[in-house]
Amino acid sequence: MTLFHFLNCALLTFGPHAVYYTATPLSEYDTIGTCVKAAIVYLGTALVKLICLATFLEVSDSDSFNPYQELLKALIGFIDVAGLYFALTQLTHRNISQNHKFQAVGLGWAFADSVLHRLVPLWVGARGLEFTWEYIFQGIEANADLVLNLSLAAIGSLMWLRRNKPKTLIPIIYACAGILATMPSIISYLRRALGWQPPKLVAFELSSSLVMAIISWQLFSACHRPA
Amino acid sequence: MVMSLTTYSILVLVLVLAVCVELGDAATAVDAYRLIQYDLDGAPYGSRLAALNHFAGVAPFASGVDLSRTAVILPLRDLNFTLLHEFITGKQQLGGLLFLLPQDTDNARKDTGPIRTILSKLEHLLIHANLPYPVYFAHEDDKINEVLPDVQRGDGTGQPASATTGGLELMTHSFKLVVSTSEPKKLSSPTITNIQGWLPGLKGDGTSQLPTIAVVASYDTFGAAPELSVGSDSNGSGVVVLLEIARLFSRLYSNPNTRGRYNLLFGLTSGGPYNYDGTMKWLRNFDQRIRESIEFAICLNSVGSWDNELWLHVSKPPENVYIRQVYESLADVAKELDVTIGIKHKKINISNSRVAWEHEQFSRVRVTALTLSELSVAPELLHNTGGLSDSRDSVDDTAIQKSIKLVAESLGRHIYGYHGRNVQIFADNSSLALNPFYVKSWLDLLSQTPRVAPFLSKNDAIVSALKKELADHTDEVNVYHETIDGMFTFYDSTRSTLSIYQVTSVGFDFVMLAIIGLYLIVLFTVLVIATRGFDELLLMIRRPPTRKSKAA
Repeated sequence: MTLFHFLNCALLTFGPHAVYYTATPLSEYDTIGTCVKAAIVYLGTALVKLICLATFLEVSDSDSFNPYQELLKALIGFIDVAGLYFALTQLTHRNISQNHKFQAVGLGWAFADSVLHRLVPLWVGARGLEFTWEYIFQGIEANADLVLNLSLAAIGSLMWLRRNKPKTLIPIIYACAGILATMPSIISYLRRALGWQPPKLVAFELSSSLVMAIISWQLFSACHRPA
Repeated sequence: MVMSLTTYSILVLVLVLAVCVELGDAATAVDAYRLIQYDLDGAPYGSRLAALNHFAGVAPFASGVDLSRTAVILPLRDLNFTLLHEFITGKQQLGGLLFLLPQDTDNARKDTGPIRTILSKLEHLLIHANLPYPVYFAHEDDKINEVLPDVQRGDGTGQPASATTGGLELMTHSFKLVVSTSEPKKLSSPTITNIQGWLPGLKGDGTSQLPTIAVVASYDTFGAAPELSVGSDSNGSGVVVLLEIARLFSRLYSNPNTRGRYNLLFGLTSGGPYNYDGTMKWLRNFDQRIRESIEFAICLNSVGSWDNELWLHVSKPPENVYIRQVYESLADVAKELDVTIGIKHKKINISNSRVAWEHEQFSRVRVTALTLSELSVAPELLHNTGGLSDSRDSVDDTAIQKSIKLVAESLGRHIYGYHGRNVQIFADNSSLALNPFYVKSWLDLLSQTPRVAPFLSKNDAIVSALKKELADHTDEVNVYHETIDGMFTFYDSTRSTLSIYQVTSVGFDFVMLAIIGLYLIVLFTVLVIATRGFDELLLMIRRPPTRKSKAA
C-alpha cells in the first residue's frame, strides 16, 4: 500500500521534531511561539538565498562538481548563518532561558527546513506504486539535519548571546560554526565529485552530525560552567 | 471549536487527495503490442482483454499454483511450447501473458532462423486460440532484462512474500505489470482500399477494344500482433515486383513508338488474408467491357524467398490455351534464368467460401488468371499472411530480382510478339534494366510499415504512397474503398505502454512502521531522561493523558 509507505516516511521525517518538542522541557515552557517565529525567519532566509542563487549561479545540465559554483553556493550558505543570528538575537522572545532559546530556535529552523525541502517530494513520490529506498533515506537525512541545526543554534547562541566566554574556547567555537555552516557544501561535494551512494552518504551525515552535536554540547556546558 | 472544524475539513480533503494513488513514474516503461482480437463468424479469437494490472511471474512454476492473478512473462528465446500448450488447451485462466521478442541487434540477426520458426509456430497457436486475458508482445531491452532475474528469484508466481515469512524475504521485491488502457471496442465497418493503375496500349486504326493484361498483388497483412505485421515476403515482395514492372512498362509505353498493343492494368488489392475479399469487390465493380477484355491476369503472392523453383497455380486445367501460352512463355524465360517453374492445378469449389489464391476470385468471374508464388501448397485461412516471423531478413533481394525479370520479360515478349526469339527486352545494363535500388528502397519501406487492413485508415500514409507511386507509372489511377466482409469483426487497442513497477508487500510496510515507531519511542525516552530526568519519565508513564492536556 503506497499511502502506507508515504505515512511511514512522513513519520520518519517529521516525527522526531514533534518528539523533541514534547520530550524536552520545551513543551513545559510553551516555547511554540519561538519555534514558529524561527520557522518564519527561515522562510525569509530561504527566499533571500533563492534570489541570490538565481542571480549569481549559472545553470549547468551536467551533475558534475564545479568548484567555483560550489564555492559560490557555500558563500550563499552563510546567509543561513545570518538568518540564524537574526532569529536568535533580534526577535523578542518571552522570558525563556538561554538553554531553551537555542533549542526552540533550532527546532523551528530544522522543522521549516524539513517541510520546505522534503514534504513535496515525499507527497509526489512516495505515493506511487514504485518502491524505492529514497524516501527512507530522506527521512534519516532529516533526522541528521535536526541534530545539525540544533548544534548550529547552540554554537550560534554561544557566539552572539553569551558575553563572557573562556578565551581558549573561542577559536574552537568559531571553527565549529564554520564546519556546521559549510556542511551542506561538503555533502554535495561528496555526492557529486566523489560519487558516494545514498546509504554511504546518509551514514556519513548521521555520524558527522552526532560528532558535531557532542562537540557543541561539550562547548556549551563548558561555557556555562559557573566560574 | 472553530479551529478544530477547519482542521478537520482540511484533514478530510488531504485524505481524499492522498487516497487517489497516482501511478507515477515506473522504473521501466516499454511499448507493448497486443495480440489481435477478432471474431470469425461470431466465434471469438485472440486476446479478449486489454487492461493489465497484475504481479509478474516467470516459469518454472510450482505445480497446481494459481496463476489467475499473475502476468506470466515468456521470453521467446527459449520458449517452452509444452507449457504454452498447457495454458491454452487447458484453458487455464491467467492474469496476463507477455511475450518478449528478442532485441533487434546485429548479434540477433545471425540466428534469425530458429527464432523465426518459433515465431511462426507461436503465431499459429495464438491466432486460433481464445484467450480471455490480455496478451502482449514487447521487445526485450536492457531494463526488462535487469528485471527478469529478480522476478525469477521470487517464488515464481510473483506473489509478494507475506509478512510471516523470514526477514530476508521481506526485502525481496515483486514486480507489477501495468497496462492502463480502456476496454477494446469493435471496429465499426473497417475499410479496405484497392488501388488500380491503368496503362493504355496503342490503339490501332479500328475502334475495337484492345486486350488487357492485369498484374495484381495484395498489399495488406495479418498477424498475431497487428502493429508488428510488416509482411516483407507475404506480400511485400509481390507489391515490389508489381511496382518495378509498372515502372519498366511505363518507360516503354511513354513513347508511342514502343507502346504495346495491350492495355496494362495494375491492381494493388487489400483484404488478401480474408479470402481475397477486396479483390472480389474490386472485380465486381468493373465495367463489363473492361473485364471481358482481360486476356489473363497474373497474381503475385510471396515471391521473395525462393531459390530456383517457382510455382504457377491455376484453376483452369493446364491444357487450356491461354494457360498453356502463359506457362510456356514463363518457362522459356525461366530456363534462361536457370530456374524452374512448376504448374499446380486446383479446382475451385464454389460452395466452399475459402479462397486460397487470388486468381480464384478472377476465375469466379470468368477471367483467366494464375498466381505466381514460391509456395507450393495453398495456404490455410490466416496463414502465410505476413505476421511476426515475416520480417525484412526473411526476404532475399536476388529472389525478387529474379521474379521481376521472369514476369517482365515474359510479359514483354508476349506483348510485343517475340515468342521463341532470342531477344532480351529488359536486359541488364540497358536503359530498361531493373533497378535494384528501387526494389531495395520499396522493400525497406514496406518492411517498416505494418499493414493490417482494418487498422489502415482511408488515407493512411502507405496507401497514399502506393497511390502516388502508381500514378507516377500509369496514366490513370483509381482508388476504391470497400468494407470488409461480415465474416470478420475486429477490435481496436493494438498498442499501449507497459509499465513495470517494483512493489513491496504490505508486511514490509508494517515492519517499517514498527521500526519507525520503536525509534521514535526510544528517542522520546532518551530525551526525557536526558533533559528532565528519569523520575519525570516514570511520572509520565504513570499518568500519561491528564498530564499532557494540562501542559497544553
